[in-house]
Amino acid sequence: MENMLLIGLSRQMVLERQMDVVANNVANVNTSGFKADRSLFEEFLNSRAHEDNFIGRDRRVSYVQDRGTFKDFSQGPVEQTKNPLDVAIEGNGFLVVQTPAGERYTRDGGLQINNLGQLVNVSGYPVLGASGPIVIQQTDKEVTIAADGNITVVEGSNRIDSVRGKLRIVNFADAQKLVKEGSNLYSAGAGTAAQPDTVSRVRQGFIEKSNVNSVAEMSRMIEVTRTYTQISSMLQQQGDLRKSALDRLADVPA
Amino acid sequence: MRILYTAATGMAAQELNVQVISNNIANMRTTGYKKQRAAFQDLIYDHVRRVGAQASDQGTILPVGIDLGGGVKTVGTPRLMGQGSLLPTGNELDIAIRGEGFFKIQMPDGTYTYTRDGSFQMDAQGRVVTSQGNPVQPTITIPQSASGLTINSQGQVTVTLPGSTTPTTVGQIGLTRFINKAGLQPIGDNLFTDTPASGTPQDGIASTDGFGDMQQSNLEQANVDPVSEISDLIAAQRAYEMNAKVVSAADQMLQSTSNMFR
Repeated sequence: MENMLLIGLSRQMVLERQMDVVANNVANVNTSGFKADRSLFEEFLNSRAHEDNFIGRDRRVSYVQDRGTFKDFSQGPVEQTKNPLDVAIEGNGFLVVQTPAGERYTRDGGLQINNLGQLVNVSGYPVLGASGPIVIQQTDKEVTIAADGNITVVEGSNRIDSVRGKLRIVNFADAQKLVKEGSNLYSAGAGTAAQPDTVSRVRQGFIEKSNVNSVAEMSRMIEVTRTYTQISSMLQQQGDLRKSALDRLADVPA
Repeated sequence: MRILYTAATGMAAQELNVQVISNNIANMRTTGYKKQRAAFQDLIYDHVRRVGAQASDQGTILPVGIDLGGGVKTVGTPRLMGQGSLLPTGNELDIAIRGEGFFKIQMPDGTYTYTRDGSFQMDAQGRVVTSQGNPVQPTITIPQSASGLTINSQGQVTVTLPGSTTPTTVGQIGLTRFINKAGLQPIGDNLFTDTPASGTPQDGIASTDGFGDMQQSNLEQANVDPVSEISDLIAAQRAYEMNAKVVSAADQMLQSTSNMFR
């Protein structure tokens, strides 16, 4: 008798979590380098009724459980900003950022220069080159970032380019193992390590937008709300049914 | 229900985005104005099931986890310091900087501020001042009877005095550079002050050591591109609407829950 209620509630809890994922995707629709999440579900079988006197055997009850959130690492649309310190990565690579907690990885290429001349991300953490942070000197101008991540500048009144470093671009054998840390950063999860990426290209003056597909998110949102309210009304009908059964059974004819 | 709060962070972020864009559009015709851009980041995640955790006694590892994000935050409104286009004005005291550097201005309290707005005037004493009347550094005084004011690409100011055929140098307008221009703090009136983030001001001479060169009788236009601002505005507005839709969807879900058992 209770099974229907429990199954319905298990589905509703999962739908609420799915809605959380949709809400986070929509909230980050304008976040540079953001990668959308998708929900995955699985059936969770359990025999609930332990009644041995039935003639038929117990039927197993099927619940829903969310198995995980899958990160959609597809390329986001690239927008031209003409800002020399904006870089978009074409390919599966990530920029490496030095945080107090260790190396972190990001696709957000909105870079800045700090008071020490270091190339930093928008939170102020140094973006690493092949040999540590990249430092731009006081007299440098016209920063050029090549497709392979090489950074050159025009130094002072010279007309010759000086090399200031090379952006370190890394990728992962299984990017799903990356852990989202917030602040557009990922950390390498258990059992995965950054390896140099030689395939990805860096595009200066462009920025990678969020890869959230707003149409898909909106239809997913409608689907979730509708399913949720359907289950609510189903559970409500079940409650009404039980109530009327009790009323009628308890009604002793005179 | 956290969905409501997640969507609320999205709405707040887009509201701020619209504010930044509208300020850019409002300053589309402001001399030496540098556009700003809102930068967003995702908020911290709730790792309900951590990826890579052991899933069973047999040692299976979870291939994906459950990560629930809490929405979005604004991390800054960095200023894009790209060069604005030069507009010839024919006014001999208008100067545009092509390249790096800022004009250094002395404020009435003796402190220095920095600007890219080179629409200068002359005050009663003949000093070269900003529209607010604050002198450009180093202070340059132009003799009353002088004619033929010329400012060369290095900022050298020369005039022709009556009774003379050769020009006389009356001073040189300096420039100031910062390692991180985006770290300057705007204080209105097209002025900036230096901050710990901008690095210390480095004074120098135009057209040398990587400083930009000066262009007399020109003004630097704002580096705002109206077309891209409008498309950003539309994107921000749509994003706001979508977050509002999520709020109403979450509301609908809550309503159906509270109506479930009457």
